[in-house]
Amino acid sequence: MKRRAFMLSVGGAAAGMVLLPRMAFAAPGTIDWYTSSDQNILDFWTNIVKPKFEAANPGLMLNLVDGGDNAGLQAIAERAIAAMDTKTDPQADFFEGFDARQPVGAIDKGLWTDFAAAGLSNYSKINPLALSIDALPQNLPYRGSQVLLAYDTTKLAAADVPKTFADLIAWIKANPGQFIYNRPNKGGSGGNFVRRAIYEANGKDPSKFKVENYTAEAATAALDPAWALLNDLAPSLFDKGAYTSGNTQSIQLLSQSAVTMIPAWSDQALSAIAQGVLPETTGLVQLTDLGFPGGFSRITIPTNGVNHEAALKLADFILSEEIQSAVLTELGGFPGVSWDYISADLREKFKDVIPASIPVFPGGDWEKAINENWYRAVAPNVDPAS
Amino acid sequence: MTDRPADDIAGAGRGKWGIGLLLVAAPVLLVCWLVIYPIISAVARTVWLPNEGSGSAFSLETYQFFFSDQYSLNNLYLTLWTTFVCAFILIIICLPIALYLRFSGGKLPAYVQGLAIFPMFVPSIVLSYAFIRVLGPNGTVDLLLNAVGLPKIRSPYLTPWGPVIGLVWDHIPLTVLILVSGLGGISNQSVEAARDVGAGRLAVLWYIILPRLTNSILVAVSFSILGIFSAFTLPYVLGPAAPEMMGPFMQRTFRELLDPTSAITQAVVAFAFCLVFGLFYVYSVAKNRRE
Repeated sequence: MKRRAFMLSVGGAAAGMVLLPRMAFAAPGTIDWYTSSDQNILDFWTNIVKPKFEAANPGLMLNLVDGGDNAGLQAIAERAIAAMDTKTDPQADFFEGFDARQPVGAIDKGLWTDFAAAGLSNYSKINPLALSIDALPQNLPYRGSQVLLAYDTTKLAAADVPKTFADLIAWIKANPGQFIYNRPNKGGSGGNFVRRAIYEANGKDPSKFKVENYTAEAATAALDPAWALLNDLAPSLFDKGAYTSGNTQSIQLLSQSAVTMIPAWSDQALSAIAQGVLPETTGLVQLTDLGFPGGFSRITIPTNGVNHEAALKLADFILSEEIQSAVLTELGGFPGVSWDYISADLREKFKDVIPASIPVFPGGDWEKAINENWYRAVAPNVDPAS
Repeated sequence: MTDRPADDIAGAGRGKWGIGLLLVAAPVLLVCWLVIYPIISAVARTVWLPNEGSGSAFSLETYQFFFSDQYSLNNLYLTLWTTFVCAFILIIICLPIALYLRFSGGKLPAYVQGLAIFPMFVPSIVLSYAFIRVLGPNGTVDLLLNAVGLPKIRSPYLTPWGPVIGLVWDHIPLTVLILVSGLGGISNQSVEAARDVGAGRLAVLWYIILPRLTNSILVAVSFSILGIFSAFTLPYVLGPAAPEMMGPFMQRTFRELLDPTSAITQAVVAFAFCLVFGLFYVYSVAKNRRE
């Protein structure tokens, strides 16, 4: 064999062995962590949480894995259930941005850790608001975000900003072309603006909407008045009734000064301001009569992970003041703990966005009805020929 | 002289047929598996619907709904409108570029060609956001106009013209390449001969170049129509909320309304239109071959 051919085959074999799937065993001390969230959350964990946690806990490591989306985490959770039956290693210790109600039956099987009984030293600090939204003790809320109004303070003084939904409608009508929201299925900022309009048309009572009380008749009765309200608003929107196709595009229009006010996710707006995408002169405000809907992101921890103790330590660490302040300053989300456990100067700085209540609109059939009917009832108000 | 290829090239022996068939077997099987079978299965799933009982029965219900639903029809009309307007504008823009690239020498055409091919390397999502920055409200164009004291443009963003502009830009490279290759088949001699007998530029274009270019134009139009009909990103980001083009409409029906049967119905309708364009293309190519 020629030397060249020999080198090639040896090199190829070596490369092939590197590429072979490595036998994966959960290493003791390395927490296998999975997220369903976006890149900014993974960045937050990579750049802030991981170094701080590993420095504070010598011998423990974090293996951060992007699980893609909710479906991705569900597949890993199903693997953990299967591992439970066979008493093997699930290779998963920590789920970020998940819901213990998934997969169906997981709680009954005892897959998820009950945080109320897990003895976390920081558990009592959790914002009661978060627990009232989702009282399931297998879910650990640690960061929140809510839709609010972002506006251009150079065009609209803070004192004149609408504080109730009725004021907002009056303001939009008095300032035609200065407001835009995105299509409700293309991003939560427009989606929750539409949901807030649905609350407005139904006596501002979030308790009227539950996943299980959906019927076609109830949907017609509840949604039609909201569509009437939104249709009435349409001619006063940007471009006489245009709707952006996502949260980011709305922010872009605000940054280009094409509109004066948009609904935006609190975390997205705060990080846009921090990165200079939105100017320093951007104001944020929440409605005082009933806030825009939003929610908390949750952590779940399987009980059968090899590093269960370490995962609980990490969960406790996440609720510490250090990380919760970083959620606010670095991520632009709301802390999962009560605001009393956040430093006083941060409390002062973010007082406009501190939510007193976070209405949560149910998903399921309601979501489907909104996504379908908004397109048929509200979106076509623009004459395509005009 | 016969028009049959020489035996030593094409092979006369029967055994060599086998090798030929074997060579085409892989792509044919792939097409059957990844294209033909999904089409048959999609059509079957939309006409063979589960009925009240446990069984299923033949029904054209989903198609009846599609063609009686004004909202769906508006989406279809918008898609057809966008497709034809784009195809028309593409030819108007790309034909002069291709003629220039074919009939001029020197260094400049190389740069022009590079510029014309450039859109091919820009992902549509990047293009969409750049479009909002440039042609959107208070975008670069508005800033430039404002700087010289002119009024702002009526921004095409979030109107049906938004996707048209984006899609035309996106399809310029393919159209130019096809037209340039078609123009390559026209010999300089024929153009010079026409000039020698006193034909002007327009006469050369009309009597010499265009008749020989028809096939390439048809190919270019078919390719861009097929691409634009199923476009997703640009109509999704730049277009109006309603009516939607078929691409975003199908995606929304499938993912957000969780209604795969309707989504597949829309896909089959879109496919039927593309099939008509495709057959038209195949017919014209085949006709051209015979001549």
